[in-house]
Amino acid sequence: MDVHLADIVMQFPGTRALDGVSVTFRNNEVHGLIGENGAGKSTLVNILGGSLQPSQGQVMIGDKAVRLSSPHDALLQGIAHVSQEGSLVPGLNGAENILLGHEPKLAGIVIRKGALQRHAAELVSQWFPKVSIDLNRPVAELPMADRKVIEIVRALRGSPRIVILDEPTATLPAREKEQLWQIIRSLPPQGVGVVLISHFLSEIKALSDRITVLRDGRHICSEPAEALSEDQLVELMLRRTGGAQLRGAAASTTQADAPLVLDVRDWHVGAVHVPHFSLRAGEIVGLIGLTGAGHFGFARSLHNPAGARCQTLTIAGKPTELGPPRKMQDAGIALVPDHRMEYALIGEWTLRENLSMVHPNHGTIAGGILSPRREETEARRVMKLMNVKAHSSRQLLRELSGGNKQKISIGKWLYGASDRYRVMIFIEPTEGVDIGAKAEIYAEMRRLAGQGVGIIIASSDLLEIESVAHRVIPFVRQGPGPEIHAADFSESTFITAISGAAA
Amino acid sequence: MSDTASGAAAPARHDMVLGIVRKDHVQRYSTLVVLVLMFIVFSLTVDRFLTSQNLLNIAQQISMLTIVGAGLTFGFAAREMDLSVGFTVGLAGVLVPLLLVAGTPLPLALLAGLGAGLAVGLMNAFFVTIVGIPSLIATLASGSILFGINFLMTGGRAIYGGLPPAYLWLGQGRILGIPVLAFFMLGAVALAWFVMERTVFGRYVYAVGGNQKAAELSGVQVRRYRAASLVVCSLFAVIAGTLLAARLGSGQPNAGERYLLDGLATVFIGMTMLRPGTATVLGTFFGALFIGIINNGLNLMGMDTYIQSIVKGAIILVAVAIVSRSTKLNLL
Repeated sequence: MDVHLADIVMQFPGTRALDGVSVTFRNNEVHGLIGENGAGKSTLVNILGGSLQPSQGQVMIGDKAVRLSSPHDALLQGIAHVSQEGSLVPGLNGAENILLGHEPKLAGIVIRKGALQRHAAELVSQWFPKVSIDLNRPVAELPMADRKVIEIVRALRGSPRIVILDEPTATLPAREKEQLWQIIRSLPPQGVGVVLISHFLSEIKALSDRITVLRDGRHICSEPAEALSEDQLVELMLRRTGGAQLRGAAASTTQADAPLVLDVRDWHVGAVHVPHFSLRAGEIVGLIGLTGAGHFGFARSLHNPAGARCQTLTIAGKPTELGPPRKMQDAGIALVPDHRMEYALIGEWTLRENLSMVHPNHGTIAGGILSPRREETEARRVMKLMNVKAHSSRQLLRELSGGNKQKISIGKWLYGASDRYRVMIFIEPTEGVDIGAKAEIYAEMRRLAGQGVGIIIASSDLLEIESVAHRVIPFVRQGPGPEIHAADFSESTFITAISGAAA
Repeated sequence: MSDTASGAAAPARHDMVLGIVRKDHVQRYSTLVVLVLMFIVFSLTVDRFLTSQNLLNIAQQISMLTIVGAGLTFGFAAREMDLSVGFTVGLAGVLVPLLLVAGTPLPLALLAGLGAGLAVGLMNAFFVTIVGIPSLIATLASGSILFGINFLMTGGRAIYGGLPPAYLWLGQGRILGIPVLAFFMLGAVALAWFVMERTVFGRYVYAVGGNQKAAELSGVQVRRYRAASLVVCSLFAVIAGTLLAARLGSGQPNAGERYLLDGLATVFIGMTMLRPGTATVLGTFFGALFIGIINNGLNLMGMDTYIQSIVKGAIILVAVAIVSRSTKLNLL
């Protein structure tokens, strides 16, 4: 039976993530779901998988309306969700993971190990006769593709009619992808529909029977895969009203002889290796890549180099040792992180307190004693500069909309200091931000660059990168690829660059 | 993407309760209202409650508690809980009298008390921030160690006789009819309030407790402030302990024990008001008043201390229930 989402609206405080989306998923097809970051893919599959309840609209199975109030509920209705991050227990073996919570038991207490291994092996061979996986080893020791297969088998345990696969190949090395592709293809003939989310357009194109495109929370189209070329898909994903106005002033080129504000050689953090990276005053450099490509990790580690090492680090001409964020800040590096409520702001604090978090000393009379009057004056200056909409600086941060929160997160670095930082790093600077605030945030970045700040922006919103960056460094498999210059900017260049070699 | 206007500030909206009182005001001030009501009820029903003598008595009774609570407030603000605080009170309460009886000059003995507090605080901070043991567990263990030390130092006996009058005056004297202890209490509250609300130090302590990751990424040296909050806990505790022994006129190794539970209670009650979910110095002060008035009222009514213990336990549960319902109380 088909699963039909009818006129789904999802309203979050400050944003409408889905706006009247209707789409049908069949149990005999691979259904590709694409759209750029923030288009609403995750929200849609979370509703389908029972993790979110829509503000309006209905989920229909066949012609019966159902309420999916939890993932468990969805599972009972035959919809299983394999999330992007993975949900295996690393210390348990494959069989134990597959039957987690459904272990065969003796007298309802003691787990029957033998039966468990047998039963799990049966499940695997029943669904994927050609696959061989060592179910006796802890999953932490298995290749990524095998882990994904185990997750999928676990999802298939209750014989669902639809399985949602969210970026199943994002973490896989190229040679392991083929195995997973075959597995995905083998499901519809067995009566299990697949809803597939992937950044790799070629993968979506190759695997899907039909493709649905979302953009800015709206349903753009659902078409048979063979009816759309990759170029058309990119076009559908990215062409948006308001895009042109966001672009605003064309990215001005920077002086090639502007002084270097940042220069690093042989930067290692985790598995990421960047042989050389440099940034000039006034330059905006975009870092792009798929999840796990290393661009976010690299950008973050420049401000918080815990676990990083390098040959040389030069900030504004001065050789600098790696140190904790405090030290990197003193050397001139600022970070506006993603997930602002987790990494940047305190919801229960007033705007003023949040703004003064980085440089409270600016608002002091002497010896660390705060002057509310000075703090107020400076907070107002920054709020005006950033055009923050609020009743007063005493309002609690959590009451603001996403865009205004983000402005506070940026404003923190401007409080008490207009030109303290030579390098500002922005990670996903407009996630969950409405379109008006987006334009203002871009304008602020350009203004800062105009003052001689070097800016690094790591984002998965390619349109954003295209509109603000002067040059772009695509990351593929834990390292930077060949640089893309402004003249060659286009979504398809970007997508090719970040998926290219990996697909 | 969004239909929320970023171009206009949302109008000031407040959730109302029964259409007359703002909901956030109810959250902030209802504990205070209960406090006032309790005061009125005791005044009307208990004979000797509303006399200047009894009120000064209450002030004297809660002064040590308030000082301990003020210290704990720093810990709570940074999301660190100091369970050794009662034994730290006891430590100063035997160490200072011991030194005095042995003939140490008063100023030196008082300094030694503070030094002991510093040492305990640094030890707690070491295990919490360097070794990485959650404060709840580290301070539970260090409390046990202090308990043993307190009894070893005294052989389990109370120390009395030979304490200099100047020392006893700290705990028993009066200035213009007002107990000296009350001045210590007000001084401690004023100092703690000032540091928490009006200095960069206090701001950073709150930042660490409010969102540790955000604080770290804003350049706050998180470890340093977590450690400092524990040291402040211990310092306030030894001041309270020094005063306690002066008030009792003797050093008793187990006299500090009740300050742990009562101290936590004052902070929890304080967290239900003013800035719900956040430990504030003024909130803690009102929390101590709350406990003090209940204890005193029940005492005057002739209730025995076991009943008081039951009442206090119930109040803590209610306060924590209120706090954790309205906010994410997450201390571990």
